[in-house]
Amino acid sequence: MKVPDARSTEAQSGPGLDLDQFLIEPDTPPPAMISPDQVGRADAKVMASLGVHVTGEDRSGTYILHNFHPLSLIVKSDQIELLPIAEALKKYEWLREKYYWKAVPSDLDRYTAQVASATEPQGYFLRVKKGAKVAFPVQACLYIARGNIAQRVHNVVILEEGAELHLITGCATGPGVEIGAHLGVSEQYVGKNARLTSTTVHNWGPRMGVRSRPGTIVEEGGTFVSNYCSLRPARNVQTEPRAWLNGKGASAKYLTIILGSNGSTIDIGGEVYLNAEKTSAELAHRAVCTGGHIYQKGLLIGNAPCRAHVDCAGMVLDAKEDGFIHSVPGLRALHPGARMSHEASIGRIAPKQVAYLQSRGMSEREAISMIIRGFLGEEIVGLSPELDARVAEIAEFAGHGEEWHAR
Amino acid sequence: MTNILEIKHLCVEVDGQELLHDLDLTIPDGEVHALLGPNGSGKTTLVMAIIGYPEYRVAKGQILFDGEEITKLDITERARLGIAVAQQRPPTIAGVKLRQILDFVIENAPERAQEIDDLTRAFQMEEFLDRDINAGLSGGEIKRSELFQLLVTRPRFAMMDEPDSGIDLEALALVGDMINALLSKEPDRPAHRRAGLIITHTGRILDYVHADKAHIMLDGRIGCSGNPLILLDKVRQYGYEECIRCILGRREG
Repeated sequence: MKVPDARSTEAQSGPGLDLDQFLIEPDTPPPAMISPDQVGRADAKVMASLGVHVTGEDRSGTYILHNFHPLSLIVKSDQIELLPIAEALKKYEWLREKYYWKAVPSDLDRYTAQVASATEPQGYFLRVKKGAKVAFPVQACLYIARGNIAQRVHNVVILEEGAELHLITGCATGPGVEIGAHLGVSEQYVGKNARLTSTTVHNWGPRMGVRSRPGTIVEEGGTFVSNYCSLRPARNVQTEPRAWLNGKGASAKYLTIILGSNGSTIDIGGEVYLNAEKTSAELAHRAVCTGGHIYQKGLLIGNAPCRAHVDCAGMVLDAKEDGFIHSVPGLRALHPGARMSHEASIGRIAPKQVAYLQSRGMSEREAISMIIRGFLGEEIVGLSPELDARVAEIAEFAGHGEEWHAR
Repeated sequence: MTNILEIKHLCVEVDGQELLHDLDLTIPDGEVHALLGPNGSGKTTLVMAIIGYPEYRVAKGQILFDGEEITKLDITERARLGIAVAQQRPPTIAGVKLRQILDFVIENAPERAQEIDDLTRAFQMEEFLDRDINAGLSGGEIKRSELFQLLVTRPRFAMMDEPDSGIDLEALALVGDMINALLSKEPDRPAHRRAGLIITHTGRILDYVHADKAHIMLDGRIGCSGNPLILLDKVRQYGYEECIRCILGRREG
């Protein structure tokens, strides 16, 4: 195992995250599993803000990771299999051989190495059976209910041929939890003609450090749609999603929506390798800066006749002392049949637009929220109700400033 | 009858340049006035100063609405008192749909949901609801969208900036219908009207909408006021050049 070698390998970008200050191995035994609707009211409220409903209504399955241990697991469809990853690894030998650490290398950097070094892996295993079109989303919540711990999560999601699923993953700290770390590895396998829509919402405490390393492999005719929304800006967030479109006609679409505020550094990456003919990729980053540093990056790599577009758009509201948005859309064409394009724009809200909406009776803040919501949702086709609600929330945060955060 | 609007000795600056000079204007409640004048005479500046756009700075004078001084109020406060404007060149707002403005109004007055739905259908606005506000609309469509928003927000005092400019006769008739609907408080009492101010360079809209009084604006001041039909007739006969000569002659005389 090469894991220990990577434990000092810094990530490609983003400031370092000091993990030594946090408790990283469980200091308590696993709690008794409970039904999601037994989750306390305050925690349930946080989860609802992520699109995770403890009632389980309109959901095909629910998984809740609480600090270091699974707390709830419910499956309501025989078309899916949902297990704690540790259990799945014991149950299926092939999981380790074919999937585990195959889409994300364990020695990618010191954060993946940390995840790989966990005594017992945390996270979930989700499999959707061949041809199954799962009607309701599966929801997973990765929850940190106490301060000063580092949660290390490793998920594996497999959609077999022709399967379809919407996966909602909510990651958050509980009320009053300000500091800690979350290291997340997600490996997602989208089979032939399968379709995975993954909506991830983060809502972290103000001094959290977050490293997210999703890797997705899409086979022929498969579709992967990733929506990422960061509701409250954590101190230090860095995500590095990667996708490999390996089969003819495979496609990937990433949408990220983030809000930065004073003191936060948010670095949103994204790499898509278009390795087969007729593959397509679209990367859209949207950011609103009310302070802090925001990096929007995206690199599309065309290795075959393909179509790809990356689009970074930012809006700077009140950038405080040193706030900024830094956009770097990138393209690398290695095949003459690769048709690739990019665009980036950063702007401010036009006072005339605010005044116009005010003249219809809105307050200045209501007007700003509405404009931000429009900016974030512009040209995004088919925003799901879950995501639409999150976008509205971000617009509220951004429009109302710090005191709204504190509520 | 009380005055819905009373403007006294108003001076307005834009980017440090004074565009309105010592302007006086009074509109009694229930009356609709027309504001005529050549391009650049300050008509739009006056309307924007009344609604309270921040870049139109009141340097001197007072604006009273329903007897209350509003000069220090911001645009939201003025809108909530019941002042509204249908702009000639409203901004486009990417991603913000007309439907959201309707939703905002209904959120604050849920009992009006049905009425607003009826208005939408009556003025065939369905197709505009899910488009970005004012984006990609023709001149006539912008006027419809603006007037529709006024119909929905139901202001006490409606200002319309050039509702008749750059549109064909068919569109003008529709705009006329919308303004009449906007200004009529109760359909069965045509004489009982909402107060309003219609800016018009050509006066074409006055063939469709009755105005109680007209004012001719010149060089940031009200030059003369009187019967709309007589004033408009003179303007059409002799042009604004003659008005200028007449007004300047009176000022000097």
